[in-house]
Amino acid sequence: MSDNSLTTSSSGHRIHHQGHVRSLRWTRWVPFGLLTLGLVSFAFVGSPFTLDLASQVFLASIGSLSLMLLTGFAGQISIGHAGLIAAGAYVVGIMSREWHAPFWLTLPAATISGGVLGTIFGLPSLRLRGLYLAVSTLALHFIVIYAGGEYEAWRGYATGITIDSPKIGEWEISSELAWYFVLLGAAFMTLTICWNLLRSRTGRAWGAIRTRETVAEALGINIARYKLLAFVISSSITAAAGALFAYNRNFVSVEAFSLYLSIQYVAMIIIGGMGSLLGAILGAVFVTLLPYAIEGTVGLLPHAERYVNELSALNYSAFGLVTIAFLLFEPRGLVGIWRRLQAKGMSWPSWNTH
Amino acid sequence: MQLIVNILVLASIYALIACGYVLIYRVSRVMNLAQGELMMLGAYLLLTTGSVFRGNAILAVAAAVVLSTCCGILVYIFLMRKMTGGSVLAAVLATIALGILLRGFMILIWSAQQQYPGQPIALVSTAIILPGGARISTFAAALVAVNALAYGSLFVFLRFGRWGLRMRAAGQNPLLAAQRGIKLHGIYALAWALSTLTGSLAGMLLALDSGLTANMAVLGLKAFPAALVGGLDSLLGTLIGALIVAAAEVLSIQYIDPLLSDVMPFLVLLATLIVRPWGLLGTREELDRV
Amino acid sequence: MLRWVLGITTAILFAATASADDSYIVGMTAGLTGPTASTFAPVAEAMRIYFDRINAAGGINGKPIKFVLMDDQAEPQKAGANVKQLLTRDNAILLINSSLSSTFAPSIAEAKRAKVPLMFVGAVCPKEVYPPAEGGQYCTTAFASNFDSRATLTFIKGTSPDAIRIGFAAATIPVSRAEIDFAEKYATDLGMISVDKELIAPTTADFTPFATKLVEAKPSWVYSWAAWVIQVQLFEAMRRLGWEGNFLGWAHQEAEDELQRLKDPHLYVIGANTLFQEHLPVQNEIEDAATKANSRYPANQMSEGWIGGMMVEAALKQSGWPADAEKVQNALQNLQVDMKGIRAAPIQWTQSNHFRVNQSYRIYNWDSAKGQIVTAKDSLSYEIK
Repeated sequence: MSDNSLTTSSSGHRIHHQGHVRSLRWTRWVPFGLLTLGLVSFAFVGSPFTLDLASQVFLASIGSLSLMLLTGFAGQISIGHAGLIAAGAYVVGIMSREWHAPFWLTLPAATISGGVLGTIFGLPSLRLRGLYLAVSTLALHFIVIYAGGEYEAWRGYATGITIDSPKIGEWEISSELAWYFVLLGAAFMTLTICWNLLRSRTGRAWGAIRTRETVAEALGINIARYKLLAFVISSSITAAAGALFAYNRNFVSVEAFSLYLSIQYVAMIIIGGMGSLLGAILGAVFVTLLPYAIEGTVGLLPHAERYVNELSALNYSAFGLVTIAFLLFEPRGLVGIWRRLQAKGMSWPSWNTH
Repeated sequence: MQLIVNILVLASIYALIACGYVLIYRVSRVMNLAQGELMMLGAYLLLTTGSVFRGNAILAVAAAVVLSTCCGILVYIFLMRKMTGGSVLAAVLATIALGILLRGFMILIWSAQQQYPGQPIALVSTAIILPGGARISTFAAALVAVNALAYGSLFVFLRFGRWGLRMRAAGQNPLLAAQRGIKLHGIYALAWALSTLTGSLAGMLLALDSGLTANMAVLGLKAFPAALVGGLDSLLGTLIGALIVAAAEVLSIQYIDPLLSDVMPFLVLLATLIVRPWGLLGTREELDRV
Repeated sequence: MLRWVLGITTAILFAATASADDSYIVGMTAGLTGPTASTFAPVAEAMRIYFDRINAAGGINGKPIKFVLMDDQAEPQKAGANVKQLLTRDNAILLINSSLSSTFAPSIAEAKRAKVPLMFVGAVCPKEVYPPAEGGQYCTTAFASNFDSRATLTFIKGTSPDAIRIGFAAATIPVSRAEIDFAEKYATDLGMISVDKELIAPTTADFTPFATKLVEAKPSWVYSWAAWVIQVQLFEAMRRLGWEGNFLGWAHQEAEDELQRLKDPHLYVIGANTLFQEHLPVQNEIEDAATKANSRYPANQMSEGWIGGMMVEAALKQSGWPADAEKVQNALQNLQVDMKGIRAAPIQWTQSNHFRVNQSYRIYNWDSAKGQIVTAKDSLSYEIK
């Protein structure tokens, strides 16, 4: 986004002079401010059910942002995301059940173990690319899940590990309202971290690696270091998300971390739009809310109760169908649609000629 | 002796499913991760054709085979064809999404209950006693036989058949092949048809042997390491890979720990990726075309 | 994008319109799809049919039952979310869980927090329902951990005066493993010889390797306490390997049809529910209702759900109107319902026993001579204290 040329800035106005840019810059923050206001006021208007729903969206966006960093920006394909979420969740489960550790110990521990696991997940990327890398992450996912299951059986947690809600002094974070703000804050923090990362040297290196790896190497970028860094950072954030997930549900068990979960995250970044932080969030919103939208739509049909058995199969089918539709018709995802709408909005007087 | 028979049977299951992976990968460099669901589709189709052609096993099986091959071709025409020429990652993700879509559809149509496709057509699994005292069920034996037949005919076809030659050409250098007049779309469709054919045969035989549940598609994923270990574009390699994976699994049940057997294919997969990512007999390529 | 806006609007609308109306609201989370569908879907169907019948006949205390059924796909996270929804969106005064044991912890936690009673129907009974039971959890399910194995092994021991060689098979699901571990120890205490124990993952392609190991150990009996799919596939694999011993498994809902299909006199099943071939009046009732409702599941798989329905009806009747969660809780702690023959003894719940006071088993197998299923052993009973 260059300031002093005939370009289109993100606020949608053709800017010719530098001076004009500076004075109109603040308008960029208006939609952002409105959004914040909306999100905060929603907390006091929404029912516990919708608050919980929103919390799920926030939690999902943390995971999708981290995956977008890894796959969308650094170009490293990973379909083992659920394994990393599981790792974070299990660290919390083990530490809080076995050693009664408080959350300000377990959360950093989960994040660090995510980073360590990320190094392991990332090692194949030094040798493999593309589909082979994806397959290696798949294998690692299964192994992590297996380890988790074995731990459950070995320690006698036949039906999973229950976890107490995190406590700050006397105040327990367990209500839907509390979690809404906690997860909103966490998502916002993640977004800030990602945004800063992308504008830093690391982000630029990732971009170079994603576009043309050999050229990047020729330019003197240490490929191995930045690839591993991508995995480590992404996995740390993901494991932190897993830790929050464990506290939010007060429960950890191996069945929650299926391959389908990994694929949902991949779908989030595709449907949202690869290579865009906004895309990661939009994708998270879409994929998380899709089953509820379907349930709501089916609920409007007559004799809705007869279709309950079919609901999860319908969700599967809809999910597959929507992902395919985006891959075929809208490869740039929701962000692509958004930008198209923006562009259309900009050229408003001349719609008739298009 | 029984152990060897068990390994052979499991290897045949994996190999028959995995040859689908190889066919499509060899021709278009795409990993068809919906192979498990397509295999399951074959078994469900047999359930339907079985209730239509009651008592007539041959007709039911033949009809199911034809139907599933058509499904494979349809999948190519309506989905994969539009993804050719684009990013390979997108194509693979399309197959993953396809798998999920198929699974949802199959549950919607046939419900998630356990079914027995063999019942309407009066096919029951019994035991055959082999020399040496080992036993094998009729359908397991059929699996081994069909597997051998499938691989045998594929070898011959790819080596000597006119279209087989074209397939190999298209796999090696699509641009050159297209310029020489080879219809790439036809080749790809053929690859999908053959892949679905072998997969659905595997699914049908498995379902006849031990019943059909909506979870059977997981086997597709367990069979994938067999293809990778042998080399994703080598049929012979896949046969060997299937034997290795099956042996690891069966031997771990017998001698190590039955619990480990479920994750054993993925451990073998990981080991291969670390040591020799392009598999035993695969072409050592750039390992990505993303 | 538009679809997204539509979707979220719909979801919010849906959430907003649901409110407490003039009926008894009963919420249920069940593993309707997913790997356990065969077990739990018929239970949910049976309960729905039962409640529809009651509503058609005028309801309970003049009020209808609003039955809200949700699918959790046997996933714990989803079950927790379902229970939360049933409590916050639908204001249920009674909850039912009919799903895999891993869904119990989140369900119990949510129900406890809201102080709403939670009944387990068709799902394995959690330890919270056995005496001393203090929480608001109840269970109607036929199978009971440890008692099942005790009854089984007592029966097996009684078949021969010599030391019996016995093999065991469990699924890699923790509940199954725990039960078989207990059974192995109990069998050894009874003087039997445990020759092999197999743990089978539900995703196994071929059961022959497991069967091979078991057969090689030459047991005269094999006991399995796992999902029917695993039991029957292992049994068939062992038969194909030429093993001719006796196999005993839990009588899941499919057992009756499967005994007919397999026609093997050495396959035994143990259960607490009477088989439909007895044609009890209540079973004819069930078959009638199932046919009228065009049910996709066979009537003989509906015993568990029907029993659940009977207990819910009795509890709600006793709670009177208007009812809230507390009244239902009080009713449940003081309930005795006659099972009309489906179970040998009535189900009785007290303040400290939310399982039942009397648990009674029957063992069935196929009789080739008579060409039908017969009772191998009647009434193995236990008092639960």
